[in-house]
Amino acid sequence: MSIPAVTITALSKSFGDLRAVDDLSFSVQNGETFGLLGPNGAGKTTTISLLIGLLRPDHGSVVLGKTESRDPGNPAFATVRQSVGVAPQALSIYEALTAKENLEFFGQLYGLSGAKLKERVAWCLDFAQLAERAKTRAGTFSGGMKRRLNMAVALIHEPSILLLDEPTVGVDPQSRNHIFESIQTLREQGMTILYTTHYMEEAQRLCERVAIMDHGKLLAMDTVENLLSQFGGDSIITADLQSIPSGVEIPGARSGNRIRFVAPRPLEEVAKLSSKGVAFQTLNVIQPDLESVFLKLTGRNLRDG
Amino acid sequence: MNPILVMALKDLRLLFRDKLGAFFIIGFPILMGLFFGLVMGSPTSSVSQGKMKIAVVDLDQSETSSKWVSFMAKHESIELEELDFDTARESVRKGGRVAMLVLKKGFGETAGVFWREPPTIQVGVDPSRAMEAAMLQGMVMEGIGQLAGQRMMDSSSMNDMIARSRADLVADETISAGNRLLLNTFFASLEKMQNSIGALQADSDESSAGSLGAGGFEFANIESIDVSRKIDPKSQAAQLPRLKSRWDISFPQAMMWGVLGCVAGFAVSIARERTQGTMTRLQIAPITRSQVLLGKALACFLSVVLVVVFMVGLGVFLGMRPGNYLTLAFAALCVAICFTGIMMIMANLGKTEESVNGAGWAINMVMAMVGGAMIPVMFMPQFMQGLSYLSPIKWGILAIEGAVWRDFDFAEMMLPCGILLATGVIGVVVGTTILTKE
Ligand SMILES: Nc1ncnc2c1ncn2[C@@H]1O[C@H](COP(=O)(O)OP(=O)(O)OP(=O)(O)O)[C@@H](O)[C@H]1O
Ligand SMILES: [Mg+2]
Repeated sequence: MSIPAVTITALSKSFGDLRAVDDLSFSVQNGETFGLLGPNGAGKTTTISLLIGLLRPDHGSVVLGKTESRDPGNPAFATVRQSVGVAPQALSIYEALTAKENLEFFGQLYGLSGAKLKERVAWCLDFAQLAERAKTRAGTFSGGMKRRLNMAVALIHEPSILLLDEPTVGVDPQSRNHIFESIQTLREQGMTILYTTHYMEEAQRLCERVAIMDHGKLLAMDTVENLLSQFGGDSIITADLQSIPSGVEIPGARSGNRIRFVAPRPLEEVAKLSSKGVAFQTLNVIQPDLESVFLKLTGRNLRDG
Repeated sequence: MNPILVMALKDLRLLFRDKLGAFFIIGFPILMGLFFGLVMGSPTSSVSQGKMKIAVVDLDQSETSSKWVSFMAKHESIELEELDFDTARESVRKGGRVAMLVLKKGFGETAGVFWREPPTIQVGVDPSRAMEAAMLQGMVMEGIGQLAGQRMMDSSSMNDMIARSRADLVADETISAGNRLLLNTFFASLEKMQNSIGALQADSDESSAGSLGAGGFEFANIESIDVSRKIDPKSQAAQLPRLKSRWDISFPQAMMWGVLGCVAGFAVSIARERTQGTMTRLQIAPITRSQVLLGKALACFLSVVLVVVFMVGLGVFLGMRPGNYLTLAFAALCVAICFTGIMMIMANLGKTEESVNGAGWAINMVMAMVGGAMIPVMFMPQFMQGLSYLSPIKWGILAIEGAVWRDFDFAEMMLPCGILLATGVIGVVVGTTILTKE
């Protein structure tokens, strides 16, 4: 985990007066799965576009892959591009071509041919769970199927760095689960993955480290665990009580049998109450998640914009 | 595989997957070609089906001469009209008639009589219609032959003629006694034969009499009249007679619609790469921007060649007979390069498929109308013909026609082909430069 696969240094990009990316710096280690989290318009897609050279930064720099003298990690270089796979947020597949033809075409652009191409196409079709629909035109696919194909195309040339820009939008829970499992497999194989999303639970489940950004700025960056303990705050416990022995002090607010309180270590609190003879009818513990981290950091909910 | 080729093959596949696009490229041109070809009718059939327009100037005004005229008029491939000399000549010069025939005074006396000096028939033929002239010459001879045959059959007139000839013979003192004897014997036997034929009342048909003419005997001296063309070589009258089949005009024209279909189709496809997001993938793939664009250009080039090859194939199947396939291949190449260039420029007309398609077809329609893809340039009013020089379509049609029926030589091909090539190269360079700078 010592060689960074992606390094962004003091990156800025403006569109007119709007600072879409503002002095952003972070690096993704080799083999790491890194989450880039932020609400709509935070600058995630812009960051990806800068990373792959679709946009030119106003300031700062981007380095992809191993930095060698002949290969400065600039995404303008074909050798650098060859090692990067991208699933853009906007679907980018040919609707008039079949799933298989899409994969074959992009595979050929990356120099694949013959048996190798065949093997990779089959692998990708399997990855996207589209093997049975391989010969169907992508235009007739459902939104989720297109999304899966869009992601599979990014993998056709076995990149060592994978950039996924909100790859699960519109994908049903079952397929989403399949995608998560596939990503975990890729991670185990040592692929470096940069994953943008505004679904906190995805980042929490998949990513070792997460960067939270808003208005183009980096707000926090750490492991999920550290972020939660640092910014997550207390858990919220709500419960309906059956009986309360007299003399036992109940924390928080109470109305009739229902109680509600916050605590940094909810289970310890519940155990303490239980040992004092409090009988619980229902118990609900809401642990802090990245959602609450974001709330804490910005004072806004993630998906209210 | 070379990425340019990979791109091009993908784009060709996409083009033919698009039903409407494919219709504009193949279906529409077929309909246009067939429709206008059928409307135009066949130039060769007009020769064989009695529509060869001939003017006759009968200066003799004898019974025989009018008989001959009626023989000629009966011919099913001739449309005959008696005119005075000047009117007749003018009509041939202007291309209104294929030829004029002049029967000089005294025609009746010698026509169809073997032993006299054959009559002189003056023929003035439109120089651009040599093939028809040859046919006409045959028919003229046949007419005289029929005249001769009829004279022989018609005993009374023949006997009368023999009697008159004998009288001439007697009066002519320049004929030696020996010869006179010989001729007298000849006339006597001729009279005898004539009578027996009359007795048999031969129900001979005219064709057997006509075959006399085909026997190699010279029935008439053909003398030519100068009717060198006064007409503008650019007029329809000058051009139409050179057509070899009814498809000669309609197919080159129709091809251009297919070519324009390719142009619009690929210009739109560049915009479509943007709108459907695939341009992003192409840009981040390990290929250069110019490779992407050259792939588009190659696909457009190939599809234009395909359209021309297909339409020529269909035309040949229907009866079109291109004069020179090598020239035709060169013309097709130039057309393909020209319109590839135009496509690359057109791709810059808008950011969305709709805007490129709208602007593209608007330009296409103007180029097509002005360039003669709807109404052939030769049928256009004068000022429109002048405007047509500005349309690449005109040069495309001219290049193809030059190879198909205009029988252009290399030097003549250089004008349309040079313009097409220059337009194409400029288009590719300018279009690619703008597109890569974005
Ligand atoms: N090409 C552009 N021209 C002008 N403004 C742009 C452009 N691209 C992005 N922006 C602006 O930059 C800001 C960041 O956009 P970006 O797409 O990076 O956000 P995001 O984090 O990916 O959002 P989302 O979660 O909705 O995808 C937005 O305010 C957007 O309007
Ligand atoms: Mg985005």
